[in-house]
Amino acid sequence: MPVTIPLASLILPGLGQLLSGRRARGLSILGLTLTLLGLIWWSLTPQDLSPETRPIPLKGDPANLYWLVVPVLIWAWNVWDAARPNVAPGWIPALLSTTMFFVIGWQVAEINPPVLASNIDRVMLIVRPMLRPDFIQPRAEEREGWVEIIVPCPTEAPAAADSSTGEITLTVDATCGAVGETLTVAAAGLTPDVPVELVWQSPIGDFFVLREADDPTRFRSEQPDAQGGLTTALVIPNAIPPGVDPTMPQEQRLYLRQSRPLGGWELSTNGGFILQGIYETIALALMATTLGTLGAFPFSFLAARNLMGGNAFTLVVYVVVRTILNIVRSIESLIIAIVFVVIIGLGPFAGMMAVTVHTIAALGKLFSEVIEGIDPGPIEAIRATGANWLQIVRYGVLPQVVPAFTAFTIYRWEINVRASTIIGVVGGGGIGFFLIQWINLSDYRAVSAAFLAILVVVQIMDFVSARLRERLA
Amino acid sequence: MLEVQHLHKVYPNGTRALTDVSFQVEDGEFLVVIGLSGSGKSTLLRCINRLIEPTQGKILWDGTDVTAASGAELRGIRRQIGMIFQQFNLVKRSSVLTNVLAGRLGYVGTAGSLAGVWSSADRASAVRALERVGLAEKAQSRADALSGGQQQRVAIARALMQNPKLILADEPVASLDPVLSHSILQYLEQLNREEKITVICSLHFLDLVHRYATRVIALKDGEVVFTGLPQEIDKARFKEIYGEDAIEVKAGLSA
Ligand SMILES: Nc1ncnc2c1ncn2[C@@H]1O[C@H](COP(=O)(O)OP(=O)(O)O)[C@@H](O)[C@H]1O
Ligand SMILES: [Mg+2]
Repeated sequence: MPVTIPLASLILPGLGQLLSGRRARGLSILGLTLTLLGLIWWSLTPQDLSPETRPIPLKGDPANLYWLVVPVLIWAWNVWDAARPNVAPGWIPALLSTTMFFVIGWQVAEINPPVLASNIDRVMLIVRPMLRPDFIQPRAEEREGWVEIIVPCPTEAPAAADSSTGEITLTVDATCGAVGETLTVAAAGLTPDVPVELVWQSPIGDFFVLREADDPTRFRSEQPDAQGGLTTALVIPNAIPPGVDPTMPQEQRLYLRQSRPLGGWELSTNGGFILQGIYETIALALMATTLGTLGAFPFSFLAARNLMGGNAFTLVVYVVVRTILNIVRSIESLIIAIVFVVIIGLGPFAGMMAVTVHTIAALGKLFSEVIEGIDPGPIEAIRATGANWLQIVRYGVLPQVVPAFTAFTIYRWEINVRASTIIGVVGGGGIGFFLIQWINLSDYRAVSAAFLAILVVVQIMDFVSARLRERLA
Repeated sequence: MLEVQHLHKVYPNGTRALTDVSFQVEDGEFLVVIGLSGSGKSTLLRCINRLIEPTQGKILWDGTDVTAASGAELRGIRRQIGMIFQQFNLVKRSSVLTNVLAGRLGYVGTAGSLAGVWSSADRASAVRALERVGLAEKAQSRADALSGGQQQRVAIARALMQNPKLILADEPVASLDPVLSHSILQYLEQLNREEKITVICSLHFLDLVHRYATRVIALKDGEVVFTGLPQEIDKARFKEIYGEDAIEVKAGLSA
């Protein structure tokens, strides 16, 4: 063993191995050492912190310099390996570098298990409403009336307000007022003995249920008299949205609402949205699977090596189609949906296009592998009977590919149902479209109802498709 | 009568599989082609029905130039030539009956066959063909549910559906044990004797050659090195054809 080999590895890790013909090993050692050094250099350079950037834990910490011990040890190991091939055990650098990657990775991922437990009270805020999914509600007769109030008062006082909707009439002692001022409202035409809720509507249309002054955890609930009349005082709440000039007079509203139980149950408003969303999701998945399968079919033949290897031109087509399929396949349909939402606009069509495109790419690849795997023997035998091209495809190719194509398509349908539930989060229609809005509104009762609906649909689809595939196998 | 004249085949990668092969086959012969693996037997058989394009040379069959045919004319020639393969080449997922009916594809219209519609006459003759190879009760089974010997019999039934004047059999028994080998070759022999179907069959084992061949040609490295009667192939000849590997082949013989 000439001394130059370990010497070369001392100068550049892996060089000795490269020179002695152990190419893969040499390149791995070089790559690993460079990666480790690069990682240490990155962890040592301080982060350029502007107000918007999130700090990366321990980045710029000079203590990271100690990590140098790992590449130095590997460097030494590599000289040993160069001097005595196949003696130096490979697990030493593997263990060293894995440890370093793991520790740094733990920090960069900001893994902090105690947080899992320390925020348990916040979890309850979400979990408690989720235990009461908003899908159906007791049947009730809803009645409401409202009156307009300008906050704060404009220079010219507005005309006396007397508004009535249906049979409920509301009169206030002042048609305008500043936040914190007290108003007296008189109402007539309410249903006797049914409690009345007071709801304030902000200038941008948000509703706030007014709470008791002495106990803000409880909503206000007033009892009308036997004639359906009610007179009560309230303090104008601060409903001015952030960023709006509070001195500018804005139209706001006071609502009185009554809900009289009728007995029995009905679909709640959100329950109706969930049904609509699920319906859209299933339709979307069905269309995307059908169109995607039809689209995948021709591509799969172009991406099958055994059919396209014939001459230079078809080989180029094969490589191009295959590359495109691989690229598109690796993009999540959620990301593709963002593009289609830009092109088409919000709604199920954008979601369907995204899932379709992803299906074409994924099934195109799978189908082409099926075609590549077919037995050329039967095709040759059918050809030998004097069959024409179409007959050869019908009797020699299709029987070999159709069962696998069908199984893959059913499996894809399962995946597409799941993709279609989430595609709405980026505006692609379906249940996800409602779900993301409820999450943003912190309406966890609706969120949990949507979760349950998704669960049920996905379970049913999985079951059906598993049974179908079983029967085909 | 089949005439092969100065046939050459050079594969695109440069392999010379056949070099200047010439011979004649009279109607009703059982011609056996022998030769080492790689000597060009499969290539030769596939040139005859043009599953492989010959590079040069002519094949005349009853005066028709097979090498010049194309399109419908070529398919019309192919449908009269049945073919049997070492690996049986049945469509495994299709039923036995469908596999046999496929032998009719060269005779029936495209539209009907694409729809999977077969005339009752075709169905009846498919059942008769299966009866002939003793597999009528397996008609509805999936092809891959059958044993190797049964699959090869289905393949014979498929060839029969073509009403062939000639059967090409490419090592039809190389995947089968000796007992089954005889049963398959006896079916071919019966067709050859009773229906006067010419058979060209490649075989590996000397005892089978002696038992079934009416005439033999031997290939070595793509060239014809022997043409004659089976009795003429004694041990010395055999060694000449098979070279150093002769011992191996004979070992296979005694097995
Ligand atoms: N498709 C092909 N492309 C290139 N060479 C081939 C091809 N098929 C067969 N060959 C070569 O042609 C020669 C003859 O093969 P083959 O006809 O299969 O012989 P046999 O059937 O006697 O074993 C062999 O050297 C084989 O490697
Ligand atoms: Mg062969």
